[in-house]
Amino acid sequence: MLTISHIPFIIVIILYFVSSVWAVGSIKRPFSFNKRVVKWCMMMGFFIHSGFLVFLGLESNSIPITNVYESFISLLWCILFVYINLDYLYKLPSLDAFLLPVITALSIWTLTFDNGNLFITIPLQKFWLIAHIIPIFIGYATFTISFSLSVMYLTQQRQLKHKLFGPLFSKLPSLEGIDTLMWKTISFGFPLLTLGLIFGVFWVKTQNILGEMWYLDYKVILGLATWLIYAALLHMRLVASFHGTKIACLTIAGFCFVLFTFIGTFFMGSKHAFQTVDEQSHTEILNIPMTR
Amino acid sequence: MSILVIGLNHRSAPVEIREKLAFNANNIPTALSFFLQRHPKAEAVILSTCNRVEMYVSTLDDTVQVEDVLSFLAEFHRIELSSFSSYMYHNKNDHAAHHLFFVAASLDSMVLGESQILSQVKEAYTIACMQETTGKVLNLLFQQALNVAKVIHSQTAIGKGKVSISSVAVEFAEKIFQDFTGKIVLVVGAGEMCELLIKHLYEEGARTFIVANRTFERAQELADTYQGQAIKYDLLGEYLGKADIIISSTSAPHYVIHANQVREAIKHRRGNPIFLIDIAVPRDIEPDVGNIDNVYLYNIDDLQSVVNQNIDERTKEIEKCRSIIEEEVEHFMAKIEEMKIEPAITLLRNHFHTIGRDELNRLKPKLRNMNEGDWNQVVYTVERTINKILHHPAKVAKLEAKNGGGYRYVEIIKKLFGIFHHTEHHQR
Repeated sequence: MLTISHIPFIIVIILYFVSSVWAVGSIKRPFSFNKRVVKWCMMMGFFIHSGFLVFLGLESNSIPITNVYESFISLLWCILFVYINLDYLYKLPSLDAFLLPVITALSIWTLTFDNGNLFITIPLQKFWLIAHIIPIFIGYATFTISFSLSVMYLTQQRQLKHKLFGPLFSKLPSLEGIDTLMWKTISFGFPLLTLGLIFGVFWVKTQNILGEMWYLDYKVILGLATWLIYAALLHMRLVASFHGTKIACLTIAGFCFVLFTFIGTFFMGSKHAFQTVDEQSHTEILNIPMTR
Repeated sequence: MSILVIGLNHRSAPVEIREKLAFNANNIPTALSFFLQRHPKAEAVILSTCNRVEMYVSTLDDTVQVEDVLSFLAEFHRIELSSFSSYMYHNKNDHAAHHLFFVAASLDSMVLGESQILSQVKEAYTIACMQETTGKVLNLLFQQALNVAKVIHSQTAIGKGKVSISSVAVEFAEKIFQDFTGKIVLVVGAGEMCELLIKHLYEEGARTFIVANRTFERAQELADTYQGQAIKYDLLGEYLGKADIIISSTSAPHYVIHANQVREAIKHRRGNPIFLIDIAVPRDIEPDVGNIDNVYLYNIDDLQSVVNQNIDERTKEIEKCRSIIEEEVEHFMAKIEEMKIEPAITLLRNHFHTIGRDELNRLKPKLRNMNEGDWNQVVYTVERTINKILHHPAKVAKLEAKNGGGYRYVEIIKKLFGIFHHTEHHQR
């Protein structure tokens, strides 16, 4: 159910939606769809998004990941954050047309997760939390961007192969350029994912959060699978110096695993420290002293 | 006041005639000063490119006619007038302005929308400026023409899209490779088209060329031009896997590069793409090659169809350009009309001020007792009155002039106030 507290996030979604429509539109009709609108709406959305996260954090007095809804919003923020920085560094033409629709779709999906009964059931200890969550989130964010780049690569590759020389063809960068960036984003995200996973393992081992059989948790297993896919990708690129279509397809597969690990596991019964609890006991859990 | 353009272009005259009349950068100044010796009051600009020779002339009193320019051209180039006069076109005033705007905007060029003509027009104008053969009218005309061309290029798609085979091929290559430095270009066959492509790629940064040709000497010759390497034709297969870009244009009646060869070559490239351009007819590269992963094959028809499509896109823009030009010609002619009436207005002002001065001179002895300050006040009042009286008629005359009624107004003003040019005055 949508309440008044959703309004800021809905505004954010609307802004992301407008910017993605303009980003896609500017490819076909650059005169009617001004690129500036894309930038403005996205930045405005990002600021409100940041403000909303701060608000959520203050409300729960913790990093805003206390339930699935909040952690999804945090992940989206990370994607935007990484994209804005990358765009500043590399000036990626037309990537917005591929990434912003993904962000918009994920944002709308996020709204459906605010059913209010999946809460984190472990004491949120700042060090472990930051060490586990933040690298993984930023890793996931860069993987989202490399996914968009792969879609872009395959689109351009298809256009070259089938000789479709429309407006999109001239707007997209060279295959080699996309390939290089895909590689850069993955090699940036992979160490972060590794770090996050290692800290996660330390966390469960030392605090005994997921029980004795922690390694049978779906999210742990899928997390490892995701890591393996990207490790294979890196291996192919580094050792066998592989390029092109195969890498792009693997990147897309990797992102599917990311999404599945992040959200799919909740449908499979694994709660990975999120439990269906009532509001009151959740507050009690959160109020456990942070230091131990 | 008149503006005249006399010339010929690739449509009106064959190259044998054009080359006879062509000027080069060295003899244009001579020609201009020669022309101005004959017609000292005229303004002139010569525009000479490989596709056109045109002469723009303006005079205040219409003394230079088409025949004068034609005979000047004949004399300067030492050719018979009759041998070229039938190929010449000429336009006057607004038509002349329209013509120059059309040319500068590259709507009259062989390759529609190319940008070279703009710099050629600019150069022609600069040379004339340096020789001081331009005046008020041609300055205005050429400055506006350059401006119109820029407006048209920025507001319409007349210059968009590549319109030559080699530039389209390079554009495709740019969509595959980020830059060409370090890329290996394998050239099979050493025809003219190949050379054009190599030149284009070289300009874009490609430096490593390998040339294979049936006659090794020709391969060596082409390779030397671009600091490349010539290889024996039989070794072609070995080099396929090394090359990033392969250009083929042999006259062989059969395929030169086969699908299984490329399939073998791509194995060693670990997903790095190969870009193949087949500009030979009959084709050199087996069409199946295009189906291999990470291999991009284009033949002459693919490239030509993109060229045609781009030309069509440009052609669609002509109407838009035409309406911009018509508007600009109107603006230009309004300025010219305004310019025409200016001398008449100056005459009128002088006439009135002379009357005023005469009257003041007549009055001065009568007011001997007046001190200097008061006398200055009287002079000031008289001048101010004259200016106030003339302000409105001058404004209306200029406005009417813009609408094309300038000449009539000049006549009326002259008649009403009994103003004549000095020459006319003397005759009377």
